[in-house]
Amino acid sequence: MLEIRDLHVKFHNRDREAVAGVSLTIHDGEILGLVGESGSGKSVTAMSVAGLLPRKSCDYSGQVLLDGTELLHADRSLLRQVQGRDMGVVFQEPMTAMDPLMKIGHQVEEVLHIHTDKNKQERRAMALEALAAVELPEVEVVYEKYPHELSGGMLQRAMIAAAIIQRPKLLLLDEPTTALDVTIQAQILELLKKLNRESGMSMLFISHNLNVVRKLCRRVAVMQRGVLVEEGDTEEVFHDPQHPYTQRLIAAIPTRKRKEDAP
Amino acid sequence: MKYAAKRLLMLLVTMVIVSFLAFLAFDLISGDPATAMLGTQATPESVAALREELGLNRPFLVRYGEWLLGFFTGNLGTSYNYKQPVWDLIGTKVMVTLCLSVLSFLLITMVSIPLGLWSARRAGGRLDGVRTAVNQLCMAVPPFFTGILLSWVFGVMLHWFVPGSFPGLEHFGSALKYLFFAAVAIAIPRIAMTVRMLRSTIMSEMQKDYVRTAISRGNDRGEVLRRHVLKNALVPVVTFLAQTMAEIVAGSIVVEQVFAIPGLGRMLVTSISNRDYPTVQAIVVILAFWVVLAGTVADIVNQCIDPRLRLGGDA
Ligand SMILES: Nc1ncnc2c1ncn2[C@@H]1O[C@H](COP(=O)(O)OP(=O)(O)OP(=O)(O)O)[C@@H](O)[C@H]1O
Ligand SMILES: [Mg+2]
Repeated sequence: MLEIRDLHVKFHNRDREAVAGVSLTIHDGEILGLVGESGSGKSVTAMSVAGLLPRKSCDYSGQVLLDGTELLHADRSLLRQVQGRDMGVVFQEPMTAMDPLMKIGHQVEEVLHIHTDKNKQERRAMALEALAAVELPEVEVVYEKYPHELSGGMLQRAMIAAAIIQRPKLLLLDEPTTALDVTIQAQILELLKKLNRESGMSMLFISHNLNVVRKLCRRVAVMQRGVLVEEGDTEEVFHDPQHPYTQRLIAAIPTRKRKEDAP
Repeated sequence: MKYAAKRLLMLLVTMVIVSFLAFLAFDLISGDPATAMLGTQATPESVAALREELGLNRPFLVRYGEWLLGFFTGNLGTSYNYKQPVWDLIGTKVMVTLCLSVLSFLLITMVSIPLGLWSARRAGGRLDGVRTAVNQLCMAVPPFFTGILLSWVFGVMLHWFVPGSFPGLEHFGSALKYLFFAAVAIAIPRIAMTVRMLRSTIMSEMQKDYVRTAISRGNDRGEVLRRHVLKNALVPVVTFLAQTMAEIVAGSIVVEQVFAIPGLGRMLVTSISNRDYPTVQAIVVILAFWVVLAGTVADIVNQCIDPRLRLGGDA
């Protein structure tokens, strides 16, 4: 489904490669967790997949294959067809990731505007459906709201709705719950699980929180300073971490919580 | 809508304050207009009689109240110099300056917005240095200088208009042609400023997160600009254009002199040197109203653009 082969990214204004040879595979219908401390290159990996690298200010090599289509070096027009239609992205800060001057509904249906020639009513109907699918209440009201009128949790749901409205094959989630408080975070995780179960959408879930990843992903990859140091079944990695960095990450989780969360 | 009404009320209050200050200022700085009108040879008796006739002996607030009331009924007072109602004196001049200002404003918006967009899209290109230099130059030339240059080139050399003989608004077409060159002189530095600010606003908006989101949905650069960035960049530009209105008014005073346009600016200068206070007061209040009105309109427009500003208005 998604295959990343030997991805390298180096920004011109940095000495070290942000991503230094990452290879990853996400299978159909799978949620892969990607963890690592701040600055380890998780976001840059996701941006490379999403076609959001600032190409002019970095060197990059390797391959990103989405169902066999190479995206890393693809030209903008091909990339644009994939973006939004085959691939949705959800970012960390819903407040700034949304256009402050555009109604929620219009942002949710923007992908339809770009990729289909559905008319206004059809788009609206689909947007309302997507808003309902992410379990927002009173979708007709939410549709008319502006971002500053909603809470962070609701906005993030709307962001997810916007990302999944065209039923993409792959959803990239870059720390989608980090900016939210714990109860909202849990709700969003449940929602993602449900979406994955019901539609079989593959997901790349990025977090620096191993615990969150453990709740959602069967498989996890651990990144440090631009390279993958460990990859495997989440529970195995959790109970028997091979790499010293992973061991440190796990040790950093408070013990009480670790016991509590053990299945 | 509620906000617009509120804003208009504020406009009214501001205007009353401005008019009060104008009235007060002229009352304080004026030498005695009666003496001025009669000359230094006048007898104290004739001065006193004239003061009585002009109503200068009554208390300040009474005179202000009457004058303000007059304003609402179209009676702007009587000119000391011409012994005519002020409105008869300045009515057509108001229209001339209004035409000049509107023309300048249209020129500024119609040229600077496309140019600003274009310049933002080309940012970082090879010609950036040239563009900045041209921009700096345009910003630096004072309107009176451009005015002299334009009237020499297009008036004296090319005979596109005859400097010094304004055709009057009855001949609207040729009047507009005459005013056009003056408007260009006023507009050039403001166009340069507006382009520069639009460009920098757009470039900083392009760095924002929502742009990345828009791209991740498959928008191309042009669509991101049109659908998202332009609207976000507009709020500061609208505010800036309202300030531009004030600059235009100031600019027109000078440029009307250069082009010999019989507008408010020239009238203001003559009335000041004649100590014709009723006329000066009326002109000052009209110009202030024009500027304050521009600010009010800008605020209301911004409310329509940015829903976040609406909260503040109702609070
Ligand atoms: N646009 C950019 N220009 C220059 N350097 C960048 C840019 N984006 C990221 N980097 C650098 O690349 C490295 C990896 O950053 P990245 O954002 O992928 O980390 P991360 O794992 O997502 O961290 P976080 O948990 O803080 O989000 C960092 O050193 C960062 O400074
Ligand atoms: Mg990140």
